[in-house]
Amino acid sequence: MKARWGLLLIVPLCFSAILLLGSQAIFLKASLFADLGFGKTASVPDLSNYALILTDRYYAGTLWLTTYISLIVAGCCVVFGFPVANILARMRSHWVGLLLSMIVLTSFVTTVIQIVGLMIIFRADGPVNQVLLGLGLADRPFSLIGTVAGVVVGLVYASFGFAVMLMYSVAKTIPPSLEEAAAVHGASPLRIFTRVVLPLSLPGVVVGFLTVFNLSMGAFTSAALLGGGRVITLPVLIQRTMLIDVKYGMAGALAAVLLAFVVILNLMSAAVLNRFRAARMVAS
Amino acid sequence: MTTDVQVDVDAATQQPIAAARRRRTIKPRSLLSIAYVTLVFVFLLAPLVVVIGGSFSAPENDAVVMSYVQFPPKQLTLKWYREIPPAQLRSLGLSVALALSVALAACILGVPAALGLVRGRFPGKSLIAATLRAPLQIPHVVSGIALLQLYYAFAELAGINLQATLAGLFLGHLFLATPFVIGSVAAVLVRFNRRFEEVALSLGASRWRTLWRVTLPVIMPGIFAGALYAFIVSFVDVPVAMFLAASDRTTYPVELFYAMEQDFNPSSLASASLTALLALALVVIAQRLVGLDNFLKAKSK
Repeated sequence: MKARWGLLLIVPLCFSAILLLGSQAIFLKASLFADLGFGKTASVPDLSNYALILTDRYYAGTLWLTTYISLIVAGCCVVFGFPVANILARMRSHWVGLLLSMIVLTSFVTTVIQIVGLMIIFRADGPVNQVLLGLGLADRPFSLIGTVAGVVVGLVYASFGFAVMLMYSVAKTIPPSLEEAAAVHGASPLRIFTRVVLPLSLPGVVVGFLTVFNLSMGAFTSAALLGGGRVITLPVLIQRTMLIDVKYGMAGALAAVLLAFVVILNLMSAAVLNRFRAARMVAS
Repeated sequence: MTTDVQVDVDAATQQPIAAARRRRTIKPRSLLSIAYVTLVFVFLLAPLVVVIGGSFSAPENDAVVMSYVQFPPKQLTLKWYREIPPAQLRSLGLSVALALSVALAACILGVPAALGLVRGRFPGKSLIAATLRAPLQIPHVVSGIALLQLYYAFAELAGINLQATLAGLFLGHLFLATPFVIGSVAAVLVRFNRRFEEVALSLGASRWRTLWRVTLPVIMPGIFAGALYAFIVSFVDVPVAMFLAASDRTTYPVELFYAMEQDFNPSSLASASLTALLALALVVIAQRLVGLDNFLKAKSK
């Protein structure tokens, strides 16, 4: 009788297996064939696409740029998002629900709309540039489109809410009584932060960093719109190689490299969580 | 102001020393916290506010495309709402219909899968769970290109063309969305007390009746949360639809993406505001149906 529950898995598993394993197998296989132009590929498989990615200045540079941008984005999200997550977790008012639902609201709107809004705010005569120029912080308008800084701003915006949510859910599990106990025993706010709050929040911070890094490595929409064809990250390069250059082999190899990155990062997050769980710092 | 009063009451009635310490350390910090949180949320909401505000603003000159948009609007107009390009309205309709059918289909696939995963006892379960969860881990660009190549191969082998068809796009979004339903339903099922079912069975209800009248109602919040995620995943996706959809019959985000690159004008802000309104309605529905806490819990699993 009990074994029957397993039968329910047959249909969803077939669906998933065909689309997942089928598609992954096909594009990984395609990545082994060098492109000859016009959508044609070589008949003998080799590793030339992968060799090109690692040796060619353009491909290797894109890989490095994407990693570099994602590291900055993950750092910004954690540094700016951590205080927000902690403050929200310690707040005892109806505002928390409202603020959390605002974060959810931004995730319900497509990235394209968010980027349109950011472009209006950051345009040459927009409010941000008026403040920057007015205070003398910049001598010419900051351009969001086509600059690395612009892509970073867009990606931080895209992942920020998610990072706050993730760290909030961890911060919520830390009893406030621990901080109060430290305060009663005369610890300074700085000491409370470095010796109590930070060590306890570490799983949230580490997993938040890795998750945002991961999301940014794979982010297409905001990177494509803000890069403006001048700053090209790995996902944008994959899309261009596939749809504009029609190089299936190369696009497949680039996608495989991105996938490898992401899988490694996911395994790292899982390992971090497991270690903290073993130390009973996170509720399992 | 109100925090001042609270601290004074505390100091007068309860523990004077602790309250004094609190007054010295926390008060300036909490002011700073409030200022910081406000700033962050202004940053988070500003793009949406600007888009909606801009959609009502009358243009001062017709010369430059982006500086069309006045924010804050000096003069209000509904002009842009009347001028939303038909292609955008059509794609918006397509997006809503697609997201609804993806949400429904994801539940049909995902609920049995969650039941099987949580309750089934068989070898290789963790491998199957990993396979079912895998689409969550793959960047959407990679899923898009992988599915496109699968469709090419499928057309070659079986003669059925899925590339640039609605069916192909639907399957692609279903692939992305189903793991969300499995995750949120499984999260509810793990906490489910099997006694309820045993009671129903011992009182003579059939297995189907038990499933229908006991199990389903209990896991309903999980199904709703999962369906909502499935809807959103399909509704906001750009890369997968860009690879799989026909360029003349695509989803709203992709249509807007191309409009941004080609002929941007404030009528795009008008259509964007309509979808923002829809998103707001969905947040309210999420709150009413499942409660925000359950919704977020389902997400983190």
